[in-house]
Amino acid sequence: MIAMFSLADRRVRLCLSLGVVVAFATAALLRHASVHAQTPEQLTIYSSQSNYSASIIDVKGVPYVGLVDVMEPLGTIDARPDGKKYKLRFTPPGGHAVEAQFNEGKDKAKVLGENLKLPANFVLQNGRGYVPLSAVPQILSKLLAKPVQLHAGARRMFIGDVAARFNVELDKSTPPKLVLSFPIAVNPAIATEPGRVRLIFRHEPVVAGEQAAYKFDDPVITGATFSEHDGEAELDVSATAPLLANFADGGKTVIVAAAPPPPAAPVASAPAPPQASQPAAAAPPKPPAAPRFLVIIDPAHGGADNGAAITPSLLEKDVVLALARRVARELTNRGIPAAMLRNSDVAISLDQRALSTNAARPALYISLHAANTGQGVHVFTSLLPAANLSRSGFLPWETAQAAFLDLSGVAAGSVAEELENRKLPNLTQSAPLRPMNNIAAPAIAIEIAPPDDKVENIAGARYEEQVAQSIAAGIAAIRSKLPEVRP
Amino acid sequence: MSRRLVILFAVLAAAAVGLSIYAMHLHRRVAREAQSAVEQQVAVAPAGNGPPETITLYVADDSDASVRKTQVSVVLPAERSERDRAILRTLMAQYLAAGTPHPVGAGSDIRQVYLMGEDTAVVDTNSAFADAHPAGVLAEKLTIASLVATLNANDNKIERVKILVNGQERDTLAGHADLRRFYEAGSIGQAELSWPRELGAPARGRTGRE
Repeated sequence: MIAMFSLADRRVRLCLSLGVVVAFATAALLRHASVHAQTPEQLTIYSSQSNYSASIIDVKGVPYVGLVDVMEPLGTIDARPDGKKYKLRFTPPGGHAVEAQFNEGKDKAKVLGENLKLPANFVLQNGRGYVPLSAVPQILSKLLAKPVQLHAGARRMFIGDVAARFNVELDKSTPPKLVLSFPIAVNPAIATEPGRVRLIFRHEPVVAGEQAAYKFDDPVITGATFSEHDGEAELDVSATAPLLANFADGGKTVIVAAAPPPPAAPVASAPAPPQASQPAAAAPPKPPAAPRFLVIIDPAHGGADNGAAITPSLLEKDVVLALARRVARELTNRGIPAAMLRNSDVAISLDQRALSTNAARPALYISLHAANTGQGVHVFTSLLPAANLSRSGFLPWETAQAAFLDLSGVAAGSVAEELENRKLPNLTQSAPLRPMNNIAAPAIAIEIAPPDDKVENIAGARYEEQVAQSIAAGIAAIRSKLPEVRP
Repeated sequence: MSRRLVILFAVLAAAAVGLSIYAMHLHRRVAREAQSAVEQQVAVAPAGNGPPETITLYVADDSDASVRKTQVSVVLPAERSERDRAILRTLMAQYLAAGTPHPVGAGSDIRQVYLMGEDTAVVDTNSAFADAHPAGVLAEKLTIASLVATLNANDNKIERVKILVNGQERDTLAGHADLRRFYEAGSIGQAELSWPRELGAPARGRTGRE
């Protein structure tokens, strides 16, 4: 080494520089790898009940998904490991229970009593059963008695006859228009770039129509290409001029046309005529939107934030997601619209939860939690001193909930009464829970603890159903007391 | 590139990798030793010079979601903030004892109590207090309520309490209870006057369903 360092200084400096570069490159690669390891890919699932997503995990290079993650929104599922076996019992809404059995480390499974060979071995991790992604359509179609289509490369799955094919028609009038007709109302994200407009369908089961790529003999709109990737569908319309997209027919039609040219600059010597009459002529005043009653359900935690470890294999984030889906169903059954802040295992910050809720202006916000402290159901309102704040004005972020404490108390008391009617152990208290203080709407938090001495019973189907029914019935009973808000 | 340069580059690359592995090993060892030291540390009331004094503790009980008032005798330091810290460490010792009705994480401790003016206390807890605290709305709320109520019961000038973790502000204690705010001793007392409340007896009279 000494002999080497006696070489010309330039070479030594070069080597040292290379060493530093190698070190930085290694660190960057490690960081890149760790970041990607924390953001699992998602499978987007479309069904007649709901559209949702499930995390995909990589097992020895093969993509796997959790059976409970995929099936829970579709009905009632009871899945538990039993030694090396994993037994699953699924009951669709209004249907009969069906069963399947898997074996850890084996590729042989039994679904509805029939043998099934999986393309790779069944995996049990932390008490959760995972099957190869490519086996999911076969398993689900048997259990649900419905056709299931998997677009594996795009990470999209369609359960039942939900795929929405669209028609493309070019209207060559002046200016030319591309008319996209869908069988369902769509609400794509629209990205306009020079010479193209992209319609990105994140929530709709949109699939290609007769063809995936279109070429038009038109000087303005030259083509359109449909593609699917990363759990989304995308229609990319190319043009020689800036494009604009407009909706018609209640969202079932999207019209893409050239953007109108910018207005000519006003001439200083000839002032423009007053424009006051134009808006009234162009856009008649909209009728006021109908009031609507919306309940926001917030399953706490998600993603890397597991919440409480109820047992080593039972995490709070999973328990509350299952409960949230059940509560949403029970509310819907009672004619109460409900929306969930997350419907898959994704991370949402506390501030983002409050922001999304406040933007939706709900009649009620419910935060759902689970823990193994105590027994039964704990119903909380915010631990803030009541304040005489106007609900219609600006509210301080840190204490926004103070203006709604009376209504929050009404909701908490009503839910507690329903829990009591079902003889479920319960208590009602106030708690300093984030982000409840930031919610500008009546808000309660519900924490479920095990119903008895067996901690794992916290995730029992019967208990979950009783709690969800209590929550929904409690809200339905005081619906008239909570303010309906305009969207 | 000459052969010697290639060798030097390879040696540097190997050294970089080797040092990275060694650094990770050292990092893990230091973390293990720190954790071990924390776990061996048991919060006990520090010895004072004077005679034993009777203090009031509000001790949480998970089984019925209550915070019960109890009195113990301890020797306390004379200085006010040290005295407040000793009282909270006595409370913490109750939670760390075997068979406690409200367990907290092993090694939980009160690092310091800072007094801001007459009525505000900032309680600096150690990392184990938050990192190993049982997660849950009720469990976390009971801990905070018992700390605030105990502090206020023994130093009744203290009306506002803020909790830090290892000298830093945190969003939540263990994922639920808000640690960004100052807690008013009065509002905690007013909100929870009915403690202990038996399980199965929900608050009534505000349902609006009558």
